Amino acid sequence: MAELTPKERVMRMFRKEPVDMMPFFSGMGMVLMPAIKELGYQFPKVHTNAEMMAKSAIASSRMFGFDSVVVPYDMTCESEAIGNTISLYEDSMDILYPTIPEKMWKSMDEVQIPKNIMELGRMPLVVEALKICKKEAPELALGAWTLGPFTMSGQLLELDILLKGVFKQKAKVEETLDKITDMIIKVGQAYQAAGADFITLREMGTGTDLISPRTWKDMIQPRMRKILAAWKSPKVLHICGATNLIIEMMADCGADAVSVDIKNCLNESREKIGNDNLLLGNFDVFALPCKAETTVEEAVAGIKQNIDGTVDAVWPGCDLWPDIKEENMRAIVKTAREYGSKPSPAVGRL
Amino acid sequence: MATKEELLEKMKNGVVEYDEEAVKEAAQQALDDGYVPLEMIMDGLAAGMEVVGELYDRNEYFVPEVLMCADALYAGLGILRPHVPKQEGGLNAQVVIGSIQGDVHDIGKNLVKMMFDVAGWEVHDLGRDVPLEKFVEEQMRTDSEVVAMSAMMTTTMLGMKKVIKMIKDKNPNVAIMLGGAPVTKDVANLFGADGYAESAGNAVSEGIKMIGRLREMQGKK
Repeated sequence: MAELTPKERVMRMFRKEPVDMMPFFSGMGMVLMPAIKELGYQFPKVHTNAEMMAKSAIASSRMFGFDSVVVPYDMTCESEAIGNTISLYEDSMDILYPTIPEKMWKSMDEVQIPKNIMELGRMPLVVEALKICKKEAPELALGAWTLGPFTMSGQLLELDILLKGVFKQKAKVEETLDKITDMIIKVGQAYQAAGADFITLREMGTGTDLISPRTWKDMIQPRMRKILAAWKSPKVLHICGATNLIIEMMADCGADAVSVDIKNCLNESREKIGNDNLLLGNFDVFALPCKAETTVEEAVAGIKQNIDGTVDAVWPGCDLWPDIKEENMRAIVKTAREYGSKPSPAVGRL
Repeated sequence: MATKEELLEKMKNGVVEYDEEAVKEAAQQALDDGYVPLEMIMDGLAAGMEVVGELYDRNEYFVPEVLMCADALYAGLGILRPHVPKQEGGLNAQVVIGSIQGDVHDIGKNLVKMMFDVAGWEVHDLGRDVPLEKFVEEQMRTDSEVVAMSAMMTTTMLGMKKVIKMIKDKNPNVAIMLGGAPVTKDVANLFGADGYAESAGNAVSEGIKMIGRLREMQGKK
């Protein structure tokens, strides 16, 4: 049988249908400096221009043979749309993602999400970038993502207000999370309408190194369920940090796949969620593709270990760090394809 | 009049149970009754925070609880610290602390800062999103013994390496502490740092262990 296109491979994987080889993709940022340089762009510019955003995303994926193309790259789009000012670090020599240095809302009482959020700030720009990717790179699976409500609140308010509020002002925290949840539903639906083939909900700041499994069940899970139920499949739920204590709850939120980072013990997760659930992750985005001292052989060994951890697709634990070593990145993708030629727990092979 | 042990216990439990009012009351009473403020800080407040660290390590407490415990600790510290004579304040050492440029998170940084505040260090807090050169300038301006930097994301972590090099080139004796979610021991070694804490939570746990060591040193004096 002929080789599948990257998009076919990813979409079949999400449906748990057999694929030709191990998918290598992400639902989080995967823009890379070699592509940005080849296009003659500068890193701070790609966040504020739809064409540069789309083209740098496509070029990154094609240059290294990824199965997906993903926009946007930073987590400040919604916060900026609501009225906060972003720092782009245009004078810095380093690769720095946009941030919100000062938040205009100082308390949960001030949280008021504009109804026309998708018309504000860079939201139309992200939609435009998705449309360009869809048109220019039809062979790639088009991914979009948004933060989950708890993590998003950290872009809108000081996070310690919410963290302490979990105990001291529970009703107020719930009300705030609900407002943000409704916004996230709307943003995700707009991204899907713009052509996203799959979407990732990144509730990054809710691992058990931050909040308890009980708080997760009580405050986070209901909102994960609500958001995921409002979006079309395929959809992925990603959480950073320690997730082994909550992996079963993550798998019970209505996502088609769960994604974890390097702090997760994959084999333990697989044992807990069984072979019918898609598990994505979780290679180290600094140690394997970027660290100057990491040899190609070490990067290859890292990916083999990742596959032995029973993932259904090799997918980074976080955004790919843009400043990769090209030889390591190529070896990583090649190893995923070759070493992943055997079926994974939830996905067979053609 | 409450005994010293009773007040220490009240302060310790107040920190563990994040009861700011109880801590404040006990701290004020300790002052009024003439007990040694530094002893009350170390064996009451800091001892309570050590228990908090153990609860965190055992997955009984999480960051929200730890933040509330820290508030309770600061409530007591605000009352007691002004009454600690300068020469008795511990090590009379200085630290420059901040979250690195590109990083607007400071929960972990603030928890590590607490450790230095408890130990009576002079803390030069640069805040967050701090340009790399600012760490170097502040260290030179204050001649601080320690520079503590935090990064919450891989995307900002790499800036630390540059700061360490800039500082060590000028003054090899400065001790550098790194912290933040993406920082591992391996990374800290690679960057040439002298210590590390791998997450906000780990900063709590490591920071609290350092408080424990400082208490031991204090006890031996």
